Amino acid sequence: MSIELKLSRINRVYRPSEVVEGKIIVRSSSSISHYGIRLAVNGSVNLQVRGGSAGVIETLVGVAKPISIVNKIIEVRPSGKIASGTSEIPFSMNIKQLGEKNLERFYETFHGANINIQYLLTVDISRGYLHKSLSTTMEFIVESDKADLLERPVSPEMVIFYLTQDTQRHPLLPELKSGGFRVIGKMSTQCCLSDPIVGELTVEASAVPICSIDMHLLRVESILLGEKIVTEQSLIQTTQACTLSHLINIADGDVCRNMTLPIYVILPRLLTCPTVLAGPFSIEFKVAIVITFQSDVAKVHSKSDPTTPRLWLAMESLPLELVRTR
Amino acid sequence: MEFRPRNYSAEKQAHALPRVRADDHPLSAPSSLPHLQIEVVDHGDTEFFDPLRRSDNNAEAAKEDLVDIETSSGAGLSSEASTQNPSKEWASFKRSLVQRFPVSKTVSTSSMSDVMVKGRKTYEKSSTSMHLEELDDPEKFAEEGGKVITGQEYVSRLHELKAELTRAWHADDRVTSLKISIKVARLLMDTSVLQCYPTLFALATDILDMLGDMVWERIKLKAEFDEDETKFCFLPENFSASDVCSDAKETCKNWFCKIGAVRELLPRIYLELALLPCWRFLVDQPLDSLRRLIMMTRGLADPLASAYCRLYMSHCMRKLPSLDTGCLLTCANDFKIVLMRVISAEETSHGNLSDNKRLLVGLMEPTIEFIMKCIFKNMSERQVGDVLVELGLGDNQVELFGRFPYVSIVLHHLLKQLPSEVVSSRAVEILCLIELSNDDSFDQCLNYRLLGFRLCERSQIDTANAVVDKAIQVIVQYDGLDEYLKVADAYVDIILQNHMDDHLNSILEGISKRACSEEIADDEMETLQSILVKLLAYYKDLEDIFSMNHFLKILDLMYGSSRSIVNMHILDIGIRNGCIRDPRTIQFLLEISRALHQDENFGNLKDDTNQPARLISQFVSLVDYGAEMESQLAFLVECRGSFGGIRGLKETLIHSSNCLAIKALKDGNRHLGFVKSCIAFSEVTLPSISPQIRQLNLYLETAEVALLGGLISHSDGLIDSAINSLQILDVLDGSRTPIDAEGVLSSIQKLFSLLVMVPGNLEHGVTYLPKNLVLMINSQSWMTPRMRVKFFCAIVSLLAALSQQNLPYHADNVKLLGNDVLFFGDSSYLHELASLCQFVLQNLVDAIQQEPSMTARGSMALEACNCIASSLILSQEISSICSKLIETGKSCLSTNNRYLQSTIQFIDHLPHSSVAV
Repeated sequence: MSIELKLSRINRVYRPSEVVEGKIIVRSSSSISHYGIRLAVNGSVNLQVRGGSAGVIETLVGVAKPISIVNKIIEVRPSGKIASGTSEIPFSMNIKQLGEKNLERFYETFHGANINIQYLLTVDISRGYLHKSLSTTMEFIVESDKADLLERPVSPEMVIFYLTQDTQRHPLLPELKSGGFRVIGKMSTQCCLSDPIVGELTVEASAVPICSIDMHLLRVESILLGEKIVTEQSLIQTTQACTLSHLINIADGDVCRNMTLPIYVILPRLLTCPTVLAGPFSIEFKVAIVITFQSDVAKVHSKSDPTTPRLWLAMESLPLELVRTR
Repeated sequence: MEFRPRNYSAEKQAHALPRVRADDHPLSAPSSLPHLQIEVVDHGDTEFFDPLRRSDNNAEAAKEDLVDIETSSGAGLSSEASTQNPSKEWASFKRSLVQRFPVSKTVSTSSMSDVMVKGRKTYEKSSTSMHLEELDDPEKFAEEGGKVITGQEYVSRLHELKAELTRAWHADDRVTSLKISIKVARLLMDTSVLQCYPTLFALATDILDMLGDMVWERIKLKAEFDEDETKFCFLPENFSASDVCSDAKETCKNWFCKIGAVRELLPRIYLELALLPCWRFLVDQPLDSLRRLIMMTRGLADPLASAYCRLYMSHCMRKLPSLDTGCLLTCANDFKIVLMRVISAEETSHGNLSDNKRLLVGLMEPTIEFIMKCIFKNMSERQVGDVLVELGLGDNQVELFGRFPYVSIVLHHLLKQLPSEVVSSRAVEILCLIELSNDDSFDQCLNYRLLGFRLCERSQIDTANAVVDKAIQVIVQYDGLDEYLKVADAYVDIILQNHMDDHLNSILEGISKRACSEEIADDEMETLQSILVKLLAYYKDLEDIFSMNHFLKILDLMYGSSRSIVNMHILDIGIRNGCIRDPRTIQFLLEISRALHQDENFGNLKDDTNQPARLISQFVSLVDYGAEMESQLAFLVECRGSFGGIRGLKETLIHSSNCLAIKALKDGNRHLGFVKSCIAFSEVTLPSISPQIRQLNLYLETAEVALLGGLISHSDGLIDSAINSLQILDVLDGSRTPIDAEGVLSSIQKLFSLLVMVPGNLEHGVTYLPKNLVLMINSQSWMTPRMRVKFFCAIVSLLAALSQQNLPYHADNVKLLGNDVLFFGDSSYLHELASLCQFVLQNLVDAIQQEPSMTARGSMALEACNCIASSLILSQEISSICSKLIETGKSCLSTNNRYLQSTIQFIDHLPHSSVAV
């Protein structure tokens, strides 16, 4: 006996106003009598605080209660019988109905380190008290409704950045500090989720040979803890976790000087979503350009968090606003 | 039995064809009126077909066929060349790449090799730094954790990966497929394998190409078929992105997303290149992606990795429907920048890196070669100008070649691909550019050399003088022979074509000066050979070569096979103009021949195609001392001593000495002593001639000459020897091919016709020789019935001829008396002939019956019948033999066989011997 959910779309992407369609596939060697087939949709924002940066106590985890977006059950079939063999039971379901009052905005699906926005479809075939009910769960992906999207196009404006020994706020290798380096470039800071981050970068000078240049895509997930301390909404109350979601190498080795290198980073699905600034939580993104210089010191250290400032690293972070466009 | 009396001269007159003077040679080229029918002047004699008078329609047709074959093959070749399949070209390029840089015995793999060396933790750092470090100190590198595996293991591991990928794909496991592909692409980051990198590249790109094809097919399938495998759409060859359904697009996007998430730059580029054609499912302008990839490649600092990445790029971009030369040009320019960095970077660093640098540049070379080839493929002359400006060679269309240096290895491959019109029209500018471009990446003299060769492709160069002047200026500065020869070799043709004798002299002088001061190395010898052969090909006459200063001096400095090849060419020129009369030339060529003969490599060639031996033989046969016949004979003796080992040469010597004897005979009888010495020379030389059949023929030839000289005892002895050599023929060679048998037969027939002239030997009896021959034939078991029949017919004809009052021909010597004069009318002589004839007739009839094949037996019977009827008077006895033979013919052949009919007719018209004695 097995049960399976199959959605009409292979990529399982639906908009809140759309009807989620699919089939419940039941395979059984004998016929099954049941007390109804029910389909439940559940969307929620799960907030979780792991041992974070600002001395947050572990017990506070419980405080961050999940935020429910949608929770709805429909009956696909009244009680009856399912014949033996493979049976396909079609279903369709409005996750957001006009006039129906929703608990929250339909945030887009996102899987972060501390914040998880997830939409689940659960089918349940109840077979009375004597038998275990059959059930299975499947995640589907929600993208914002076209109607809710920004009308204006993404601004093509680029932000110019430059990295020199003087822009770095952390100590550098002495030869790097004295010899100097200069890397300039430009990059878009507002970016459509379906498009790559584009830009360019040029190494104009560097006294120390370059080992590599990497683009780090960082997500900044913030959770507001405890409404009672509204006034002291400081770093302590806001757990901010900045984690690396994506790392792309754009230069390998000591590249030629004054040659323009393209920046081209395809945004990873699920790990990104439109920038959200909701009350209890926010999801933001940053891009860091990290230059690793060749150094004997670097060899000694094993691989560590690449965003940690090191003597042989130079970096520049730029905020990145991700948007969903029509 | 009575012989038929014949009047040969009357018969000849009666049967001879009328002779009409012809205006044209029948075999000469057809005149302007090719179809003018030749008047048939056969006087109604339809029995006879003159092959030369036959209407030449057939010949015409045959000629058309020939022309047809030529044009069609030409067209086939050119079309093949122009539409050569890019994938085939790529495959052959990869093959040559792997052959050029074979995998070394061991491969030290580094950072990325955990795929290669399974189960061991490897050391991780940037491939570039690894590479540089290895250059610095390979030993230290090895200690630090590079793994060493054998080259064979390395290659077989890659094959395994390919098999794994295929397996995963066919199991619909795309995730594993992608993972394997990424692993493979990552291997290409490890350039520390240096020498093995081309092999790695060839194998890895093979795998990536396979992935690219599979993904393409899969997405295409999605775009054309729905889930139930029914076709809902057909994508034309030139489909646009809007023709593709969203499901297929989604899959395609997914692939690019997955690839885009690969962290390392190099594998990301390689994978996207492998999938480059798939962009067509998403956008109508896949070239934009290509341009981005070209830019991204600039992020690869490792020169080797980036060069090969660009190589793969130029291969992949040919899979797109529209080819963009601009992309290739960017690749070439970026390559140039990287190379300049390699060259300049190592100048600053300390000492002994030049070997590594040379290896590195050598490894990078095939990539620019391929890119240049792609750039200039199917390019019009008009575009060339733009391309050159784009490549940074010139400032504008007018000055295509600027006045600043260019990276010489790039220049080399550019020069190789430039259309020859451009090369010849801009030769002087290119020369200046080569002069300016002198860096370590490529030997400058090879660029001068290449230019020379490229210029030779066109028959006429306007600026030949200026170019050659410049080239001479360049080579004068070279101290080494090697460079001097390499460049000179390329320009010799131009110098010769333009008759620049001064330059030629100065080059030869330059060569001899440099060659005298140092030992000539083997590769230099080859270049020198090439130069001399070109000179020799140009000159028609040996005199020109003698008159060239330094030529003989240079020739003396040469050795080995090159020397022999040049010698062969000299000999070839020497014998080209027929007779060689000049004693100096003869002496010179004799020395050349000796040197050639002494060269071990050539001496050992024992086959019939032995070119030097043929040339020497030809030379010997062409030597003509004119009136000084004694000297010529002395020359022949000398040759026999010098070239004893050459097969076939002795034959030439005998022919020559026989010719010499004939020449002396024609000159009158005062040279009889000399003729004797010639014959003696032949006689002495003859026994060592090896194939028996050749020996036999030479015996006959010499016997004939002796006979003409009236030296009967010599000729008798020679004929005896001939019969002896015929006798041992079988003993020497058991298996006899039919062609051999034909040859033997014709030699025997020749012997019989010779015997007509030989006076009967009184001591042994006049029929001594024919009798001997009959006995010999009967003793030879290998003779076929057909041969025996021919033989017996010949002997019947011989006997009939000998019985005549006038022999059909005589030896051209007044002193020598024929059998007609000696014996005609002698009854015992006639009786002896008749009795032998009787004996032979019996043998003849028996031999016919032994023939197994019906048709053969029939025609043999008819042949014998004709022979007998024309030789003997048809007495009762003979008539019955003849009619028996005709019966045999009738039983074996069809009644309307023309030979049968004409034979019957012939017999019926002959007067029957009512007067038989």
